[in-house]
Amino acid sequence: MNFILAGINHRTAPVEVRERMNISEARLASALSDLTSREGIEEGLILSTCNRVEVIANAEPAADAEPLIRRFLADYHHCNLAPYENHLYWHRQESVVEHLFRVASSLDSMILGEPQILGQVKQASAIARETGALGGELNEVVSHALAVGRRVRRETAVGSAAISVAYAAVELARKIFGSLEDKTVFVLGAGKMSELAARHLASSGARSILVTNRTYERARELAEAFQGEAIRFDQIFHVLDKADIVISSTGSPHFLIHKEQVERALATRKNRPIFFVDVAVPRDIDPTVNDLDNAFVYDIDDLGQVVDANKKQREREAAWAEEIVRQETQKMMRRLASREVAPTIVAIEKRLNVIREKEMERFRGRLGALAPAELDAVDGLTRSILNKILHGPITELKSAAGHAERGTIIQTIRKIFGVTE
Amino acid sequence: MHPVFLWCALAFYGVAMVWVLPSAARGRPTLTSIALSALTLGLALNGAALMMAALRLHRLPVIDVQSALSFFAFNVTLAFFLAYHRYHVTWLGVLILPFVFAMTLIAALNPSRPLVSTTLRGGWLIVHSSAMILGYTGLFLTFVAAVMYLMQEGELKSKHPRFFYNRLPSLEVSDRLYDRSLVFGLICLSVGILTGCVWASRAWQGTWELDPKILATLFTWFIYLILCSTRFSGAWRGRRSAYVAILGFVAVMVTFLGVSFLSSQHGFFPTISRMH
Repeated sequence: MNFILAGINHRTAPVEVRERMNISEARLASALSDLTSREGIEEGLILSTCNRVEVIANAEPAADAEPLIRRFLADYHHCNLAPYENHLYWHRQESVVEHLFRVASSLDSMILGEPQILGQVKQASAIARETGALGGELNEVVSHALAVGRRVRRETAVGSAAISVAYAAVELARKIFGSLEDKTVFVLGAGKMSELAARHLASSGARSILVTNRTYERARELAEAFQGEAIRFDQIFHVLDKADIVISSTGSPHFLIHKEQVERALATRKNRPIFFVDVAVPRDIDPTVNDLDNAFVYDIDDLGQVVDANKKQREREAAWAEEIVRQETQKMMRRLASREVAPTIVAIEKRLNVIREKEMERFRGRLGALAPAELDAVDGLTRSILNKILHGPITELKSAAGHAERGTIIQTIRKIFGVTE
Repeated sequence: MHPVFLWCALAFYGVAMVWVLPSAARGRPTLTSIALSALTLGLALNGAALMMAALRLHRLPVIDVQSALSFFAFNVTLAFFLAYHRYHVTWLGVLILPFVFAMTLIAALNPSRPLVSTTLRGGWLIVHSSAMILGYTGLFLTFVAAVMYLMQEGELKSKHPRFFYNRLPSLEVSDRLYDRSLVFGLICLSVGILTGCVWASRAWQGTWELDPKILATLFTWFIYLILCSTRFSGAWRGRRSAYVAILGFVAVMVTFLGVSFLSSQHGFFPTISRMH
């Protein structure tokens, strides 16, 4: 295990540098074969998205990996790395594992908790596996990174709260109506924001969409785009009671919808709730409508507040996610390290057992005829002495796993017991 | 009723009650396996205690304080399981389990008394008592749904989503739980009242109609009747009907526990031998 990672991301490098260093998906396979064909590199993975380019390698234990990666980057991009030096970050060994886990969990993303990165890591590792660049310890780390990413999504809310105004509106609608499947959305005024919110609601399953605008033609256009129904502007209050969600963004200089009209609409619809999203400035809906039972009014600032609260919620959840990443990193390191010492333990056990069996054979004659039970006892005795002797060194080996000087410790113990490669 | 089983059930309910808190506080949709298994064990022991009492009495044990309360606790826990599997709301546990714990505790602290009155052994009475308890279970869920509704509605109206916004279910889910449990509760309550009247007219002499518990029950029934009709006609929904459901459940508790101390006929709470 000799992991190394070199990367640039949205925090360390501006977009000009990121695009210069980008390795497009089409060229990923050839780049990976180039990387792993280099002397000293056993496995490789390249993660290249619009926010990051990372080259990860598992080098041979004795190899100095950093110059190898530098040369690869310089060769691949036909450039001198010196001007980019400040943008590069490096991770080694355990910190590579932790970094990969954080990336897959979307803790290193520009938008905390965004869901695409997990798919991008999956895609990158699939390509690397196909080209044969992954297949050993690094492969195991990458597979586990995907599992960690999924665990973080499942166990924390780091990716669940809406952090855009349009999504916040959908989230609020869900908090009121549960499923949006059979709901009717009424879009008042064709604006960019209302269109976006309506689009989100439609893709969340809203059944029918009604559209109105001061110019009927524009309403018709928009209604067609949503496969909805265009309503004449003067008919607003005839259909208000049919709407579960009202998105308003007209250019009206004063309130368009007042308390009394909403009261009437609520009475007609037997007090089933109405959710008003008022994205117009100046506002279209009288804020006192919110005082009515079963009516909920959110203006653009209110939605902004929800977004802020959700961002804070994601940050709080990120602390839990970091804890999960820490735990999983330690687990992974223990697994990798114990694999490193396992052959030594097996070799020592085998060697001592050979000695034991030989000695048993040698003393067989001197002990005379033994009953099977006595033979078993002698066998058990020698085994137990062996295990007692081995206990110390094995414990030492296991605790050396993950230790910086484990190479020396392993070598010393091997020498003491006379097991060599 | 076997006190050892009941005390063990109480212990497991206590464990479940505490272990629901971390999941609920973090807004997870699932309970930990510790909470679920403690709750299952509690329910099983509670059921075993009821079963043993039933075998001893040769009928459903719903006519003394201990068994009535533990039957109530058993039903509420069962209802929690159903609601949890249907809606995946861990907060239901925070609201329901302390109640289950309290009911079981009172049941365990009140030793069961031997039945001295032969009039208490009628089949009508068994139907009456169990229907009442099932009804109360339904109405308790209505109460819980109303509380969840009010908490979430408050968050939405305040426009500052805080703690409960991310942890409580949507208004729609609370509403659905509310409607279903209300209908169930009201039907059971009606059956309970009718069978109770039939039984009383046969077993009791005198003006049993003026018994405080009977009057209180009728009053409670009336509240729920109004609630049900206004809700389904659409006249009252949301906040108003949630408040009435809470009021209704206070009336249930007063009827179920409080009035028993005043009632001569329904004296099964202070003592059963006082009846005749």
